Amino acid sequence: MKRSFAVVTDSTADLPDAWRERYDIDVVPLKVLFGEETFRDGVDMNNEEFFARLAASSKLPTTSAPSPGEFAELYARLAKDHDGCISIHLGRSLSATVEAARVGAQSVEGFRVDVIDSETVTMPMAFLCQVAAECATLVEASAAVKERIPKCRVLALLDTMRYIEMGGRVSRASAMIGTLLDVKPLLLVAEGEIKPVDRVRTRSRAIPRMVEFFDQDVPVEHVAVVHAQAPEEAERIAADIRSRHPDLEVPVGQIGCVLGTHTGPKALGVVYIKK
Amino acid sequence: MSEHKTPGVDGPLFKRALLGSLSWLSSNHEEVNRLNVFPVPDGDTGTNMLLTLQSAVEDIKESNAAEVSKIAKLASHGSLMGARGNSGVILSQIFRGFARAVEGKSSLTPAELATAFEEAANAAYRAVNKPTEGTILTVAREAGRAAAAAAASPDATVPRVIAAAASGARDAVLKTPSQLQILRDAGVVDAGGFGLQIILEGMLKTIEESESSLAALAPARPAALPAPSQVSVELPEGGWGYCTEFLIEGSNLDLERIKTQIEALGNSVLVVGEPELVKVHVHTDDPTRIITLAGGYGKLLKLNVGDMSTQHRRILEGAGQAAGAPRSNGVGVVAVVAGRGLVDIFRGLGVDAIVEGGQTMNPSTQDMLTAIESVPYDEVILLPNNKNVILAAKQVLGLTKKNVHVIETHSVPQGVAAVVAFRGDRSGAENLAAMKSEAERVQTIEVTHAVRDTRSNGLKVKKGDVIGLINDKLEFAGTDYGEVVNKALGKLGADSYELVTVYRGEGATDDELQKLESDIRSTHPGLEVEVQQGGQQHYPFILSIE
Repeated sequence: MKRSFAVVTDSTADLPDAWRERYDIDVVPLKVLFGEETFRDGVDMNNEEFFARLAASSKLPTTSAPSPGEFAELYARLAKDHDGCISIHLGRSLSATVEAARVGAQSVEGFRVDVIDSETVTMPMAFLCQVAAECATLVEASAAVKERIPKCRVLALLDTMRYIEMGGRVSRASAMIGTLLDVKPLLLVAEGEIKPVDRVRTRSRAIPRMVEFFDQDVPVEHVAVVHAQAPEEAERIAADIRSRHPDLEVPVGQIGCVLGTHTGPKALGVVYIKK
Repeated sequence: MSEHKTPGVDGPLFKRALLGSLSWLSSNHEEVNRLNVFPVPDGDTGTNMLLTLQSAVEDIKESNAAEVSKIAKLASHGSLMGARGNSGVILSQIFRGFARAVEGKSSLTPAELATAFEEAANAAYRAVNKPTEGTILTVAREAGRAAAAAAASPDATVPRVIAAAASGARDAVLKTPSQLQILRDAGVVDAGGFGLQIILEGMLKTIEESESSLAALAPARPAALPAPSQVSVELPEGGWGYCTEFLIEGSNLDLERIKTQIEALGNSVLVVGEPELVKVHVHTDDPTRIITLAGGYGKLLKLNVGDMSTQHRRILEGAGQAAGAPRSNGVGVVAVVAGRGLVDIFRGLGVDAIVEGGQTMNPSTQDMLTAIESVPYDEVILLPNNKNVILAAKQVLGLTKKNVHVIETHSVPQGVAAVVAFRGDRSGAENLAAMKSEAERVQTIEVTHAVRDTRSNGLKVKKGDVIGLINDKLEFAGTDYGEVVNKALGKLGADSYELVTVYRGEGATDDELQKLESDIRSTHPGLEVEVQQGGQQHYPFILSIE
């Protein structure tokens, strides 16, 4: 039976291509700006191209949310063969995307769009899309997604503070990071807030800390490992989690261009939705 | 003063006005960017508004529409498609409201124009979930009100209505700091509001070209615009400091005197009240001194010390600006450190007080005691960071009511490792365990010159030789830093570690540093090497291996 409502998210969900097709989810790209050049995340530029350019670029890129008009166009198109839409987006405290979606939705009359502030980023958003897509009605989908928002966690290890600091989302001080020493922060995104949970000086010390932190939050409904150009480490973490929790599937996903602008290369994340 | 009726706002006029706005904003958007409250090169309001406005006029440039409604509709659609950032989105809603208000009209009377400005502001308010005063919304509304007032006058003209809107906007912009704490603290006016003011001014300039007699009504560039020096909110060393607020209850309090004394210890000082009750607000790096000082005047009430770095982050997240509690675990950290660079490193990691001292100038127990008493926590972890200081540090235990723990860190690298493991949300006992274990994990190599001939640990050493100590024990002697360090790294089995941090001392030259770095890199290509300016005396290099 075909679902009567549409599911929309944005490119920061890092939605695997296979899920996009399987669940028929529309993805609105955010944008990455290298100087005057604008690229739509995952459309005009893929992850490999992005990180290659990031490494070669002397000036850091910036990012921007989709415009309300882009959302309005998509919603208008979806309105033709759907009776409603759930639109799940990057947390309001991290981006203007939700606001743009909300304004865009106002301009499509007679079409119900439930714009959801996921209060999170990357694959927990993808899991929320999956949850929504498996619901029979829009009302059920919205309820099921909203119930899970406070349970979404993104535990992130950044290889350097440089990118997130330039993006202005986190300061060194707020990440408990000294201004001089190269300390790697372990950050937790929960309920729209970015909080430091630990700081370490080497990756090999940080990775077990991430897994320990995750273990304390088990039971979980969904878990994934995400990475920015660090596939081997991500696979190792995923295998470690699978061996401790054989009941869990642990997909490995890639951090996209827009989120990558803020995390920088070699970032790793254990991301999950608590039960 | 000639009185003459001006034509209404038709399509071509509105088109010219918008192009005028674009060109004026384009020359002034950097000024708007400078008003950003946060010291980061992201979310530049001026650029966001400029790009939004560019998109708004893109289709208009090609249009010869005679009707104002058609131009307004193009602006509304274009700005919606190109909106960037929150200010851009709100600007697009202003255009949308304006376009709705002028729907079906070919030309606007002054009164209709004023109504359209007001409707534009209303639409912007409706578009925002929780409207905040002191932002572009307020400025849009005040511009609309001023326009309406001007339109109600019997000699209302289109230029006068626009002039009134622009000057209403300017007045509202200047008031924004009184409405929003973050603007007040940063010493700036609201950037989005200022952007809107520039857009209105740009319209006015264009209209004025044919109406020079009205130049007198043109708003001056904002006289009270803060100078760039006040505006650029550089991140100070060690973060933003602490926003400290409290009330002093007493009798015959001398406001002026209190103010003078507080001003010497911080900035953004506000001291107001009566002789019986004084409210103090100050931004300072050293809240303890302020509190001690103020405590001498009377009873302190409603004391609130907020880490402004945290506040900034909160503001960024839109969660309001309530000052946070100092540190949730109530545990402070004091470290004994010498060398300017090392002091900065420890401060940067969140140490509450530093006792200057180390190798040859061991601090006294009293020095450490004073530092511990100065920290606003009852539980304090003390890091001696030198084996010759440990004993004096332990003496402190019997001399204070505070619950003091000494972690026996023998070296700077151990001290750094311990501080890195400290967490403000974890209990003293948990911190102690974690900090000790991290301190023990790190290996230390210290490199210096022998001060005399000696035999030690089976080594024959001549005065002036380069000597290398591993974890306090003399292991190698030689003539070259790189050689000694590489031997020490070899002995430690450095290839099973990840990171070498080199703290460069006062005595090391640039060449020596570069040579040492390249020696380490070529011998141990798998190790990450980080160089820090330690500034310590006597030890040209201290290395941490972890």
